[in-house]
Amino acid sequence: MTKNVLEWLEETALQYEDKPAFLDTKDEITFGQVMEQAKAIGSALSEKLKENKAPVAVVAGRNVRTPAAFLGVVYSGRAYAPIDAKLPEQRIFKILKTLQPAAILVDRENKEAIEKLLADGRTQDSEFTQAPLLVIEELKEHVINYTKLACIRRRMVMTDPLYIIFTSGSTGNPKGVMTSHQSLICYINAYSKVMGIDETDRLGNQSPLDYIAAIRDIYLPLKYGCSTVILPKEYFMEPDNLFGCMNEYGVTAVGWSVSAFTVPLSLGAFEDCELTTLRKICFSGSVMPCKCLKVWQEHLPEAKFVNQYGPTEATASCTYYEVDHTVTEDEVLPIGVPYENYKVFLMNEDETETAVGEEGEICVSGPVLALGYYNDPERTAASFIQNPLNPHYQEKIYRTGDIGVLREDGILEFHGRKDRQIKHMGHRVELDEVEYAANQIDGVAESCCIYRKDKEVLYLFYTGEAQKRDVVLELRTVLPGFMVPRKVKPIESMPKLPNGKIDMTTLRDMAK
Amino acid sequence: MRETLMDILTDLRPDVDFENETNLISGGILESFDIVSLVSELTDEFDITIRPKDLVPENFNSVDAMLALITKLVEE
Repeated sequence: MTKNVLEWLEETALQYEDKPAFLDTKDEITFGQVMEQAKAIGSALSEKLKENKAPVAVVAGRNVRTPAAFLGVVYSGRAYAPIDAKLPEQRIFKILKTLQPAAILVDRENKEAIEKLLADGRTQDSEFTQAPLLVIEELKEHVINYTKLACIRRRMVMTDPLYIIFTSGSTGNPKGVMTSHQSLICYINAYSKVMGIDETDRLGNQSPLDYIAAIRDIYLPLKYGCSTVILPKEYFMEPDNLFGCMNEYGVTAVGWSVSAFTVPLSLGAFEDCELTTLRKICFSGSVMPCKCLKVWQEHLPEAKFVNQYGPTEATASCTYYEVDHTVTEDEVLPIGVPYENYKVFLMNEDETETAVGEEGEICVSGPVLALGYYNDPERTAASFIQNPLNPHYQEKIYRTGDIGVLREDGILEFHGRKDRQIKHMGHRVELDEVEYAANQIDGVAESCCIYRKDKEVLYLFYTGEAQKRDVVLELRTVLPGFMVPRKVKPIESMPKLPNGKIDMTTLRDMAK
Repeated sequence: MRETLMDILTDLRPDVDFENETNLISGGILESFDIVSLVSELTDEFDITIRPKDLVPENFNSVDAMLALITKLVEE
């Protein structure tokens, strides 16, 4: 039984030493190099850092070298927290403040920016700014300390945390979802069984490396010896370049957010270019419009299409549905059946089990459950609870906040959200967080954020003296780009219902 | 035409200096969220069809490049 992802790396590096593990349009890195670099970084960290278990933040670009830095942290016996260097400064600041990392690993390219951020932070007296800033390119030259690494490994267990990935939180502070080796291993095993991944595959990476979807692209190569091609982000706006690149590199399998399929299509993909090597396709993150899926299916009749559903808190997933027919435009895909090692069930408001055919909240338990939100016992306790249907022994479950219906045939359907969390082009966005950020701005009295799903556009309505331009500029300093509304509308007064709540229906009419 | 285009662009991303920026795509300033909205608005506003082969950085890196593309597509 595998208990640590490093076992995958070591076995694969032995078998496929000179095979590229990660490639992009400029560079590649072999399994042998990934292992050597990770061991060097792990040795350096274990010698330089104090004997505590605090995680290490990795602020780095989206390139072939970054996964080795993640794994280097794992070798040091700690969890890594990936942070995309492209995030706005204040967001990185908030994440680091929650994390209180033992060290911040940074690539040379982003060193200066992070140094500045820490210097600014020191004036606010934040403790994390004392954490050492270490440069990946320097650490990977460190001499490998085999004795120390072996000693660290002996003490590790499969429930040790592997990574902490931050997602949108409704109070304005991102939540750090902490996941164990065991959970990740369960998910990768289950996913690859469904998709049929082996050493001959070439995966096409779409998401940033700090995003949950990237765990497949990082860990499937380690387990199977297949390779991941990091596709340039801008190619998703240039369908011909995207398809050309995928054909050139022979990409066979992708696990993408739904928007990575809808965006190229809305920009004319398949009009004068086809995909020649792609055979295994998984989409997740939001509801796939079948109008879009149909076109992809027609152009890739040989390919397997799988709809995946699930939150970061259950290691990226819960259920999957293998599309077994060519869809019609008005069809709604079910989310299917639980992956192996996922226990998925529905629960009513009053904490009783939901009957077949009725709506209930989707709940999940099993070894895939996250360890909780890092340094946030309150929100952890609220979301990861004792299974109310089991009074006999301790069993934690996660309530997803999603509504589902279990059909007679055992297939699960997705029926929307309980709260105001939306999926915007594959990213999870709490509308409350956008409003919270807007309300902090000088001159904004009241604000309301609305999502137009058909156009994939976020709207922000606000009252107050603030100029539209200033509102957007200010939001850009605190929120990631995908959370900044592209339609910002100042209004005289906020429409209200008799009970004083914001009148969403009127606002929705105004968002046209 | 320039004015209409500037209106669309500044409405979309008031934080970007469209007058002077010449690296909008290659510099990663415009994101896919922007391009999707932009293409649909340009299509409606100028009654043009932007084809995938037009979606290359050279056509969207600056306002002038976009204007040239729109002018070309309007004539077609």
